[in-house]
Amino acid sequence: MIEWSAFLIVALVSWVAAMCIVVAYSFGVRLLAVARDEHRNTQVNKYGAYLCFGLCGLIVLFGVVLIVPQLSEAILGL
Amino acid sequence: MDLTLIVVLVIALALFFDFTNGFHDTANAMATPIATGAITPKKAVALAAVLNLVGAFLSTEVAKTISGGIINEDPTTGVQIMPEMIFAGLMGAVIWNVFTWMLGLPSSSSHALFGGLVGAAIVGAGFGAIDYGVLLSKVLLPALCAPLIAGISAYLCTKLAYSITKRQNGASPKRGGFRYGQIFSSSLVALAHGTNDAQKTMGVITLTLVASGMQRAGTGPHLWVVATCAVAIALGTYTGGWRIIRTMGSGLTDVKPAQGFAAEVSTASAILTSSHLGFALSTTQVASGSVIGSGLGRKGAEVRWGTAGRIALGWLFTLPAAAIVGGAAAALTHIGAVGVGIVAVVGVGTLLLFWYMSRKDHVGHDTAMSDIDNSGAAVNILSKKERRARAKAEATAARKLAQEAMDKEADIS
Repeated sequence: MIEWSAFLIVALVSWVAAMCIVVAYSFGVRLLAVARDEHRNTQVNKYGAYLCFGLCGLIVLFGVVLIVPQLSEAILGL
Repeated sequence: MDLTLIVVLVIALALFFDFTNGFHDTANAMATPIATGAITPKKAVALAAVLNLVGAFLSTEVAKTISGGIINEDPTTGVQIMPEMIFAGLMGAVIWNVFTWMLGLPSSSSHALFGGLVGAAIVGAGFGAIDYGVLLSKVLLPALCAPLIAGISAYLCTKLAYSITKRQNGASPKRGGFRYGQIFSSSLVALAHGTNDAQKTMGVITLTLVASGMQRAGTGPHLWVVATCAVAIALGTYTGGWRIIRTMGSGLTDVKPAQGFAAEVSTASAILTSSHLGFALSTTQVASGSVIGSGLGRKGAEVRWGTAGRIALGWLFTLPAAAIVGGAAAALTHIGAVGVGIVAVVGVGTLLLFWYMSRKDHVGHDTAMSDIDNSGAAVNILSKKERRARAKAEATAARKLAQEAMDKEADIS
C-alpha cells in the first residue's frame, strides 16, 4: 500500500535538482563578485557568471515545461 | 433536474473555498522573497496572483474523484456523494481555513477539504465509507515526508550556497545577487500552485454538476467553471494572507537572500518532482519544511521551534477538525432544506466572527514584516547615481555645517 520506493525517488530527485540549481546560481554569484573586485580576467569571470545564470534559467524553464501540460506533451512527449 | 438552490450554494461555497485557498497559500511562494526584500509586498502578491491565474487556465486535467479516493466513491459499492454532502464538507474546510488564517498558521487547504468531506461522509454513511489505507498513504504519510524532504533539501542547498559564495581574504561575497534569483524561484512556486490548487475546486464544481444531472459524466469542466475558479484563486492570492506571510517569512527564522533562494528552489523542486512522480505532497507543508531547513543551514540563524511546533500541531488538527465541522454540518443538512439554511447562516456567521476578531490586531502588507523591510533597506546596495547624489548631499550638508560653525565663531568673537 505504502509506496516507499516512490517516496525515495521523489526525495532523491528533488534533492539533486534543487542542489544543481543552487550550485549553478551560487557559482554565478561568486564569479560576479570576483569580477567586480579582483581586477584579473574580469571578462572571463563575468561571462562565466552569465553562463551559470543561463544554466539556472534552463533548469527553471524545464520546470515550467513540466508544469504546463501542453508544453510537456509537445516537447517531452509525456 | 434544473438549477437547484443547493447547487448554487455549493458553487458559491466552492468558489469561496478557492478564494481562501489562494490567500492561505500566497505565503508559500512569496513569504521568503518579501522577507529578504527581493520584491516589495504589493508587487509580490500581484505577481503571485497573475501566475495563479495563468496556472489555473493551463491545467485542465481535473480530478476524477472529489476526495482523491479517500471516500469510497464507487458508483455501485460506495457512497453516493450528494450536493448536500459536498456543501457540508466545503463548509468544514472553509471554516478551518479561515480559523488557521486568523491564527497565522500555514495549513494545507487540500487536507482541510479532505477532512470536511470525510466528516460529511462518515455522518452520511458511517465509518465504512472511508478507505483508511488511502487516508494513510495519501494524507498522513505525505504530511510527515513533505517537511522532511524539503527541509533536508533546503538545509543542504543553504550550506552549499554559503560555502560556494564564501571568499577567502575577507572580500565581500555580494550575496545580495541571490535576490534576483528569488524572484524567479518564487514565481515557479506560484505557477505550480495555480495549476494544482485551482483544479481541485474545478473538480468539485464539475462533479457537483454531474451529480445533479446538469453535466454528462466524464466531460471536462465548462469554460465558465475554469474562468471563475481561476479568478477566485487569483483574487484570494492578491488579497494576501499577510498573517501567514508574517509567520512564514519572519516567524520561523530570519531569512537572508541566499537562504531564501535555497528554500524556494527546494520548495519548487520538491513540488514538481512529487506531482510528476506520483507521491503528491502538500505545497504548504513543503514550503514550511524548506524555510525551517534553510534556517538550520545558515550559520547564525536560529529556528524558532515554538512557532514550528504550533504549525505542526495545526497540521495534526487540520483533518479531524475540518471533519468534525463537516460532520456537524452534514448532520444538519439531513433535516432537509431548513438544515441547509441553518448551515449556511451559521457558517457565514462564524466566518464573520473570525473576520471581526482578526480586525483587533490588523496585519496588512504594510505591517506584515516591518522590521524585515527596515533591515532590507539597511543593506540596500545603492546604484552609482544614487551614491553620487548621496555623496553630494552629504558634502553640501557638511559645508553648510562648517559655514554655520564659522558664522557662530565670528559671532562669538
